[in-house]
Amino acid sequence: MTTQTVTVTNQLGMHARAAARFVHVATRFESQIRVGRDVNVMDGKSIMGILLLAAARGTTITISADGPDEAAAVQTLCGLVASGFGEDQWNG
Amino acid sequence: MERLTGIGVSEGLAVGPALVAIQRTQVIRFPIAADRVGRELVALDRARERSHEQLHQIRSRIAALRGADLAAIFDAQLLMLEDPMLVTRAAALVREERVNAEWAVQRAVEELGQVFNDLADPYLRERKGDLHDVAGRLRMNLRDEKGSARDLLQDLETPCVLIADELTPSVVAQLDWTRIRGFATDAGSRTYHTAILARSLGVPAVVGLHDVSRRVPPRAWVIVDAATGDVLINPTDDVRREAEARATLARGRAALPRPIEGPVETADGIRIVLEANIERVDDAATAAAAGADGIGLYRSEFMIAGGPPDVVGEEEQYAVYRQLLEGMGGRPVTVRTFDVDERQIARPVVDVALDGRWFPDERASGHAGLRGIRFGLANPDIFKRQLRALLRAAAQGPLRILFPFVSSVAEVRAARALIDEARAEVAAAGASAPAVPVGIMIEVPSAAFTASILAREVDFFTIGTNDLIQYTLAVDRTDERVSDRYEPLHPAVLRLIRHVRRGAARQRIPVSVCGEMASDPLLLRLLIGCGLTQLSMTPGAMPVARRVIRETHAGDMARLVARVMTLGTVEEIEQALLAAFGRSQESQKSEVKSQK
Repeated sequence: MTTQTVTVTNQLGMHARAAARFVHVATRFESQIRVGRDVNVMDGKSIMGILLLAAARGTTITISADGPDEAAAVQTLCGLVASGFGEDQWNG
Repeated sequence: MERLTGIGVSEGLAVGPALVAIQRTQVIRFPIAADRVGRELVALDRARERSHEQLHQIRSRIAALRGADLAAIFDAQLLMLEDPMLVTRAAALVREERVNAEWAVQRAVEELGQVFNDLADPYLRERKGDLHDVAGRLRMNLRDEKGSARDLLQDLETPCVLIADELTPSVVAQLDWTRIRGFATDAGSRTYHTAILARSLGVPAVVGLHDVSRRVPPRAWVIVDAATGDVLINPTDDVRREAEARATLARGRAALPRPIEGPVETADGIRIVLEANIERVDDAATAAAAGADGIGLYRSEFMIAGGPPDVVGEEEQYAVYRQLLEGMGGRPVTVRTFDVDERQIARPVVDVALDGRWFPDERASGHAGLRGIRFGLANPDIFKRQLRALLRAAAQGPLRILFPFVSSVAEVRAARALIDEARAEVAAAGASAPAVPVGIMIEVPSAAFTASILAREVDFFTIGTNDLIQYTLAVDRTDERVSDRYEPLHPAVLRLIRHVRRGAARQRIPVSVCGEMASDPLLLRLLIGCGLTQLSMTPGAMPVARRVIRETHAGDMARLVARVMTLGTVEEIEQALLAAFGRSQESQKSEVKSQK
């Protein structure tokens, strides 16, 4: 199992589009992926799970993966979150 | 064996396998036999696939017409469809609890909905709307895959005994009463309505059992004894045999519906026109096979399957309307123009926190927004596209045009002006556009009150009782706090219906009723008593409607309605109906005796 924490930096936090991007990327990996915020842990491949985490801007989340590609999964997903989902160049 | 006691409200004894129906926001829960679970899961999966295709198509069309930003809304919906917390969870519920897929989807959505409600972020709370849209789409596709609750009942080998928490009008309208031997309900409310229903159907019923719907296990046998008010769950063999013997005697006079034999008449020879409400083109053939006299209502917005109306082209529509006419083989087809709300069409995104509500789900239907004819008048390009397709199709058969949600004469005149423009456009393209009867839905109180004025402007009326009742009584059926105030027997409703019929009669235009009231075995009789002779309902409800109409004496019902019109409360009206049906049961019994 590989685990890493990352802070959500984009304006609107993990709202629908960001969550959708996250899940799109997560489902490409074979490993089981979990995302945690405080005590809540959700399936990283579930859009509703991610939305329900309600990770707003400034929140720190924990991404963990378990499986053959776990290291790559955690690295890619943390990178995605840290880069603000590539959104900050858009307005809003 | 368990014995519960309630209030017997009719006569006789029923024995049979229990069918437990619990209703919440118009979705009914049924237990599924073990050997049917597989089929149910397949239907759920196919519904998911179709929903996926539809969303994908809509997404592509939007991306092409309006840009990628807007299309992204559908990405979230597509992901929700694939989300383990929704369909996978619903499938698990089907397997573990052996319930119908619609209910399982409803439960999964409710579980998720709870969590959404707890979110602090209002934007995220709004995503709940997307969830409901996806669920609505799944349910729509499940209906296509599986048929309705009524069809589920058809699948049962023996008729059943219905155990329900409450028999609300929407539950009553969705069931096939020819397959129900008797019923028992938890509710102490709607007692009279249930009693009258039972008596008018001639079946045993017991009400006020508090929790019978929770106490009857799956696949249990039950005995409902209306004389004693007892309900026995899983009776011993002796008790059951004895009850079955008595039940057979009691059932002697109940006739199965006669096969389809052409036009339906009341017991005193009044011809009643029975037409079909449909949502899919394929249903036209079903309606024709069920002996429908025509299509009273084709809900054209279902053609769009929840996408924006402007993506359905004129040729596509023309093909659909032609197909409907062919399916009905010379019988009239009434097409209601798109009854959608403008909010259901996505607008260009200015801010990311937009929501475009796509699917015409039950929540949106009660909303008095820019819908129906208002939507058409505000979007003349879309409206005329549909009108042109309709006018052209009318050259192929007896087509009628129906405008939804009309509230004024001005609206009707404006719409007719657009018909004239559309006709000119069709002629300019070298095609013929014959004269077509144009009618309006009477579902807004202002239209009902001004029926005699509106009747001068159109060729026919169709009373949409569902919305008319909601707006007249100011009740949102989807709001659980007030949904039990939705009362078709309210004095205002009966008066308004009578008023509309008179207004139509004054101008000698036909008036029909579509809406749940027409499929309710009891309310149907009252409609006949109000002088209505044209009804439109879902094809599955027609066999019972035929039977009820043939047993109804229109003259007697007219006198009953006149008496009932002097009463002030629903309770008094129900008491009067109860007495009337009790008495008619007795006179029928003495007829049987004297024939022996």
